[in-house]
Order: sequence, then structure tokens, then C-alpha cells
Amino acid sequence: MVRSSAATPGQAAEGPGREAARALMAQGRRSAPVPRPTARFRNAIEKRFFVLMSAPGFIVVAAVTFIPICAGIYLSFTNYMPTDPSLKFAGLLNYRQLLHDSEAHQAIINTLVFAGAGLAIEMILGVSLALMLARPMRGIRVFRTLFILPLMVAGIASAIAWRSLLNTSMGWGNYFLSVIGLPQPNWLASPHTAMASVLLADVWSGAPTVAIIVLAGLLVVPKEPVEAACIDGASSFQIFWHITLPALQPVLAFAAIFRLVDLFRNIALFQIMTGGGPGLSTSVLNFFVYQTTFVYGELGYGAALAVVLVVLMAIPLLIVFRFARRRS
Amino acid sequence: MTSAPLSLPLRQRRQRKFASIFVTAGLVVGLCFVLLPVFWLVETALQKPANAFAIPPHFFFVPTGENFTNVIHSQFAGTLVHSAILMVMSTVVALVLGVPAAYAMTRSRFRGSRAMSVWLIGAYITPALVYIVPLYVIYQRLGLIGSYVGMMLYYETFQLPFTIFMMRAYFSDIPREFDESAWVDGCSKLRTFRSVILPLVLPGVATVTILDAISSWGEYFGALIFSSSNTETAPVAIYQYVGLEVSDWSEMAAAALFIVVPIMILTAIAQRGLMRGLMSGGLVG
Repeated sequence: MVRSSAATPGQAAEGPGREAARALMAQGRRSAPVPRPTARFRNAIEKRFFVLMSAPGFIVVAAVTFIPICAGIYLSFTNYMPTDPSLKFAGLLNYRQLLHDSEAHQAIINTLVFAGAGLAIEMILGVSLALMLARPMRGIRVFRTLFILPLMVAGIASAIAWRSLLNTSMGWGNYFLSVIGLPQPNWLASPHTAMASVLLADVWSGAPTVAIIVLAGLLVVPKEPVEAACIDGASSFQIFWHITLPALQPVLAFAAIFRLVDLFRNIALFQIMTGGGPGLSTSVLNFFVYQTTFVYGELGYGAALAVVLVVLMAIPLLIVFRFARRRS
Repeated sequence: MTSAPLSLPLRQRRQRKFASIFVTAGLVVGLCFVLLPVFWLVETALQKPANAFAIPPHFFFVPTGENFTNVIHSQFAGTLVHSAILMVMSTVVALVLGVPAAYAMTRSRFRGSRAMSVWLIGAYITPALVYIVPLYVIYQRLGLIGSYVGMMLYYETFQLPFTIFMMRAYFSDIPREFDESAWVDGCSKLRTFRSVILPLVLPGVATVTILDAISSWGEYFGALIFSSSNTETAPVAIYQYVGLEVSDWSEMAAAALFIVVPIMILTAIAQRGLMRGLMSGGLVG
């Protein structure tokens, strides 16, 4: 702060502030900070400025994330229910129940199928789309803009739209199929196609997401090696496989992490489109935790399932992280 | 893939032309798929309720604003207000707490700062349910179920780490010399932050504000669990239309557009920053 230099005698005479002021005056500066009774306080703030700046944010982050996670882990060792809200330690009760719960096993399998298939489809389609969008063509900007659209549509709205589009008798999906003479599946109503239907809705937003991320990477990949290879007579596929793909690796890893996280925690699609059914065919772990906790009220068991979900999600994520680190 | 050099043999040039047609076809097919649900929402929302589930669909019709007026006069309008209140509250809190923290993180190394950045990523990617289940029990005891404060605190589980993370990328773009020369000129650290650094990152702050606002506006699951009738948000309210099965598709679509259109407007404003933000987030991680 720049203040007037009229120091009153008797004020805190010596201190780091005063010394600094002298040093500055010696350099011929016009104004210099002059200590006041608040100087010590000011100095203290100045010294710990960054700690004070970051403390509120970090404390709140810790409060809203660390506390619930710890509480959740503890909760997973209790038998908490709304009818019996005791937080008494129940040992491994919930985890033992998990071993014998075939519905939970099905949910774990469904989760892995959904995340694995979703990731594979979205990465392949997304990268292909990005390669197409990276070509310098007339009007490509319009395409690039329009393909961002799914990223803007809130998950809930897309779930509603897809639920209606895939309605067996009144949806547009089957209408279009009937127009071109293809068989019309039961989509959400049949256990054989329900998961694929939800995947379709997820790919709708997931593939463009991957495409946009990869496109941003593609546009900054150096052009010289590509041109050199082109002149040397390499095929487009060879160029893609040996030059473009390795250069894109960090971006691909990022896109994969981004999608994996989303695939593991998607819930609106399942709740709106299928409700986990028919039967258990689309009961993914995330949705199963919701049902267990908030529909059946078994909060302790739900917390244990949530712990399993995190472990299940952490494994592929760590692999991708490793993969990204090793090469880049 | 730049434009074809003239030295290329004819065969290769012809191949390129062929590839171009192929790519355009692929893009058009992809675009149809991408636009289908959006088109459905708009078409159904402008349709008379009785025609909403006509098969074959009425693609040519006189649009009506009836559904939008119905939605505005229903309880749904109130839930839009709740959503807006929450959006402003949670975004302001995330920015006020997150921006200074991000600045401090880029300007000083302190014990545990590395652990903190790992924790931020971890906290952000943790599935919502991992927070929601224990928070539900905690909120029950504290009486926070159905309150804005409780919902906002839950929103901070993703907004605050996201804000800190993104803002950190923007702050690290600004060289430390800017801070140091301000200090040498006698600026206090607070003044340096406020008058020198903050103006430089304002575009970044704007982008993060919009992304925060979008994530809060579209949040569904936390609001479903923690809200009561007084704080119910629009995405939760729309779920009730689904419960009605087929009776009100056109009104449901109109309601969905009330959620989607503000996001589109915000995204259009932030489009440039959006790309950059996505990438910087990735590069820091």
C-alpha cells in the first residue's frame, strides 16, 4: 500500500518494515511503507499470505470431500438403516453379505460390460470422428461446431429424449427402422437390447466428447513428420499408426480417463431410461447402490457397495494413468 | 494433412478426392445421429400434445408455443428458480474459495501441495454416490436435508476441486516476474493479486464461472436425493414427467428445453475458453 510518509514519532520504531523502507529510500524510491500500529499485523499477513489465501479453499475441499469419504468408509462397517439408525460398528457384515449377493455380482458384471464396451466404442468412434474433423475442408467449422452439441445437452435431457426415441411403439427409432425395412427391436423393454440401448445414448455424448478432445490434440500435432512420410510414399494408415497415434498418446489417455470416469458414474441414463431393468439386465453398480441406499434404505450396505465401486473404478484408471506417464 | 502438393502423382490425388467424399458422407451420417435427440426435443416441444407421439411423426406442422406457456405456468417454473439460486450460490462459493487457493498453489510450494493436487483430482473423479450416501446420513443428523446449504455443500465436492484445478492452469500461465516486480514496487501481496494478477486471468475466471454454472445447473443426482419440495431443481422436476409415461411428451420436451437452452447460450459464450480449459485440465493431470 502506498501511504503518506508522515510518520509520527513513537510508533513502532524498528522492524522489518522500517528496514525495508530505508532500503527503498536509499534506492531513491518516492514513497515507502511506513509502519503503523497495524504494521505487525500486516507483516504477519504478508508472511503467511499464501497460506491464508489457500486455507479457506483447502479447508472446505477437505470438509466436503474428506469427511464424507471417511464417514462413508466407517458407514460401510455399520448396519445403518433409517429404521435402525445406530452407528454401531458391525465389522465385516456388509462385505460378507456382498460375497453372497448375486444381484450385486450381476451389477458388477454389468458395470464392467457397460464401461468396457462404452470406452471401446467411444474411443474408436471419437478418434475416427476427430480425424475426419481435422481435415481442412470447406465448411468443416460448421461440422466442428455442430458436433459439440451433445456436450451441451444436460444428461437428464438426453436421457429423456433417448427414452422416447427408443420407445418400442411410439419412438422414432423404430419408425425409421420400419421405413427402411429393418427389424424393430424392443430396445429398452427387452433384457437383450436394454444395455445396448443405454450404451447408444451414452455413445451419443461420449464419442463427440472424445472427438473434441482428440481434435484439439490433432490440430497441434507437428505437420512436418506427416508431410515427410507422405512424400516418402507412406500410406495414410501407416502415417496414422506410426506418426499420429504415438503423438496423440497423452491426449488419448486424457480422453480415456475422462470417459471412464463418466461411464462409471453415469446414473441419469439408467434411472430415466431403464430403471435397472428389465430384470437385472441394466443394473450397474452405481444404480444398484442408489437402489440399495435410497429405495431399500440399507445405507450401511450401500456404503460398502460404494467402496467397491471406487476400487473397481480405480483399477482401470490407474492402468491408463500408468500408460500415459510411461510414454510421455 | 495439408492441401495436396502439386508433385503428388495423379493416383494419390484421385485417392484424396475419394477420401474427401467418404469423409463428408461419414460426417453427415454422424451428424444425423448427433442431431436426432436435439431435433426430437425441439420438434416435440413445438408439437400439439396430441400429436407428440403420432407414428408416423408429423414433421410438417404449425408450431405452437402452447407447451412452453404450460410449463411456465406449472410448478416447473419454480424449480427453475431453485436451480438458478443454487447455481449462483454454489458458483460464487466455488470461485471465492477456489480462485485464491489456486493462485496460492501456483505461487508457493508448501508442504503437502503435491498431495493436495492429487487429492483434488481424486475428489473430482470420485463417483457422486460415494459422497451422497454418507452426506445423507450426516445431513439427516444436522437437519440439512432439503436445504440450499446442504445441496450447495454437496455441489462443492465437484465444483471446488474443478475450479481450483482449472484456475491453477490459468495462473501458471502468468510468469512469476509479474508478481515479483509488483512486490519490488511496494505492492502488498494482496494488492498484487487483486490489481495485477487477477485482471490478467479474468478471461479464465469467466470460463470457469460458466463451466461451474453449467455443472450446477444440469446436476441431477445430488439434487434428487437432497432436495425437498422447497428446493427441488429443474432436472429433478423433469423426472416427474417421465413418471407420467406417455401422457405429456410435448410438455416434457418443452421443460427439457428450458434446461438445455441456457446451457447452450452459456457454452456459446464460453466456446473458445471451453476447448482451452479441457486441454489445460488434461495437460496438468
